[in-house]
Amino acid sequence: MNKVKNLFKARWMSSLIFLLALFLITGIADPQFRNYSSVISCFNSSTMYTLLAVGIAFVIMTGEIDVSIGATLGITAAMTGLIAQQGGSVVSMLAACVSTGAAVGLVNALGVAYFGVPSLIFTLGTNSVVRGLIYILTDGRTVENFGGVIASYGNKTIFAEITIYYALAVATVAVSHIVLTKTRKGKYFIAVGDNAGGANLVGISVLGTKILAYILCGIFAGLGGFVFASKYGQVMTVAGNGYEMTAIAACVLGGISLSGGMGNMIGAALGAVIMSSISRLLVFIGLPATYNNTITGVMLIVIVVIDALAQSRSIEMSRRKRLLSRTAENPEGGEEA
Amino acid sequence: MKNLLKKVFKHWELFLVIFLILEFVIFGAANPKFLRPKSIMNSIVNYISVCIISLFVTLVMITGGIDIQAPSIIGLTSIIIGVLWSDAGMNIWVSVAIAVIAAAVCGALSGFFIAYCGVQPMVVTLGGSFLYSGLALLVSGLSATPAYKGISGFPAKNEAGQFVGFRFLGKGDIFGVPTQIVIYIALILLCMWILHKTKYGEKLYLIGVNQQAAEYSGINTRATIMSTYVLSAVSAALAGTLLTANVNSAKYNLGAGYTLAIITAVVLGGTLNTGGKGSILGTVLASLIICILRYGLPLCFDVDTQNLDLPVGIVLVLVVLGREIAGQGILRKWFKKKKV
Repeated sequence: MNKVKNLFKARWMSSLIFLLALFLITGIADPQFRNYSSVISCFNSSTMYTLLAVGIAFVIMTGEIDVSIGATLGITAAMTGLIAQQGGSVVSMLAACVSTGAAVGLVNALGVAYFGVPSLIFTLGTNSVVRGLIYILTDGRTVENFGGVIASYGNKTIFAEITIYYALAVATVAVSHIVLTKTRKGKYFIAVGDNAGGANLVGISVLGTKILAYILCGIFAGLGGFVFASKYGQVMTVAGNGYEMTAIAACVLGGISLSGGMGNMIGAALGAVIMSSISRLLVFIGLPATYNNTITGVMLIVIVVIDALAQSRSIEMSRRKRLLSRTAENPEGGEEA
Repeated sequence: MKNLLKKVFKHWELFLVIFLILEFVIFGAANPKFLRPKSIMNSIVNYISVCIISLFVTLVMITGGIDIQAPSIIGLTSIIIGVLWSDAGMNIWVSVAIAVIAAAVCGALSGFFIAYCGVQPMVVTLGGSFLYSGLALLVSGLSATPAYKGISGFPAKNEAGQFVGFRFLGKGDIFGVPTQIVIYIALILLCMWILHKTKYGEKLYLIGVNQQAAEYSGINTRATIMSTYVLSAVSAALAGTLLTANVNSAKYNLGAGYTLAIITAVVLGGTLNTGGKGSILGTVLASLIICILRYGLPLCFDVDTQNLDLPVGIVLVLVVLGREIAGQGILRKWFKKKKV
């Protein structure tokens, strides 16, 4: 019973309820939405954002931020396309994506964790550099006409209309969640984000944890790039521009605190689904696509404001509780008496 | 030598000035055409939105906040001016005033959530950037002109062929200096006065260093924080007005993509994004450095104009790394190791 109670207390529960409410409203507004494949397509189309959100969640949990993931996604997507044009194998594409992502992550990690540059500033810089590299890599042209194997992967489903990519993304979410909550190393991420000094004192390597977080974030962005190329079949030089903000918003919707030390992967994944389904759901509700940004913005603000108010209220309540119990035990005076 | 290096990195503005002069020397030597004052001023006019907004975002960041919604307010004010003027038939200056008020309300809304509800500034202004760019698109739907076209044909020239009225803001000049640059200089002076000469400015620094201490010393921190977001939104509205007057087109997506450029200018100027430190002079110098870099590289070194991200990014990364390394004394440690 306690477990169920705890489950409902979890922050990601409210994002799940919110997502279900969104589906419900859409279903009431339009009967055509009331079938399995419409709902599942919302999940399928969130694959890229899920990968990005899970990756950046590692970084955000440690109390830093990474705004270079959009560019990383762009450059790995372009690489995938170029390799595919030359008839390379899928393994070589994945290897290129993962190693490039990891390299960008490592550079970010060195600047932020080793040299201590504020993360927003440093990743802004790497964002521009990587964007420039995309341009050099592709000569400023759109990478297109790469058919072959990977183009056919995009819409392949394995079971119950779930695409391979989304299934793999869900698997990575599950693995990351287990690693974060059940393993010793995984718990370091939250510990470092909550209190870096304290974590250092109990013998956790803050530097190592942050480097790992950035590398993971880069790798996930690289995988996102692979999915991008495979899904759209063409990669422009501006591919992935602004995706970092959507990924950050997804994390916030999923209850990951931007000041670090709080949140989990399920929340990030749910947030990604919410962010990517809004446009799809609006079509069903009957609002033109011009309302997309307005609704997204209102939703984001409303959710975070309610969350912040609820949080400050719960802090206030627990404080009052503590005070009450203290005065009840020792009616004569304070604790020391 | 190493002491000199350390000093330069400590006095950040000094470093920026040297950097700016170096830019002029190198670009000027590479191509004498670079030094024509008219082209230099034009390059600043092209970058004016970032220059103006970064001034006021500096105030926000000194309190420890961040504002990534300003670019969406550029588009919102631009389209409000256009719709009110062309479709509602209002006087152009009345429409500008209404647009500025609307922007102030937007800023106040975000500022309220940040200051009074305690939500993280980055999240609120991220939501704000979605919301206000969305609203801009909705407003553009009210117009008879299709959204992608942009509303044009603002009152322009008199019989003598000079720009007057609204377009004067964007294209006119005062004694040979473009109006926009005159306004920019006035805003720089205003900002310097606000930040470095008034009590309000001192409050901003104190809030950035320690909000609680500021609250306990009798400062209304919440109202002060909220006011910085109103100021930055109003500056974005001003930038939107100037941009509309310059390109003679009111569009909902003007200014899209400036977000990172503005933050870059502010942080390159030495403002800490954790708050409590920063100066207007630094921001001005940093935005000029980026602006001149974007203008000089294509002209003198044949860099493709579409690929200016790379050099600007490299400069940003190297400069902030250099500052951290010098600040931590890592250089000195290396020197010492070599001596041993």
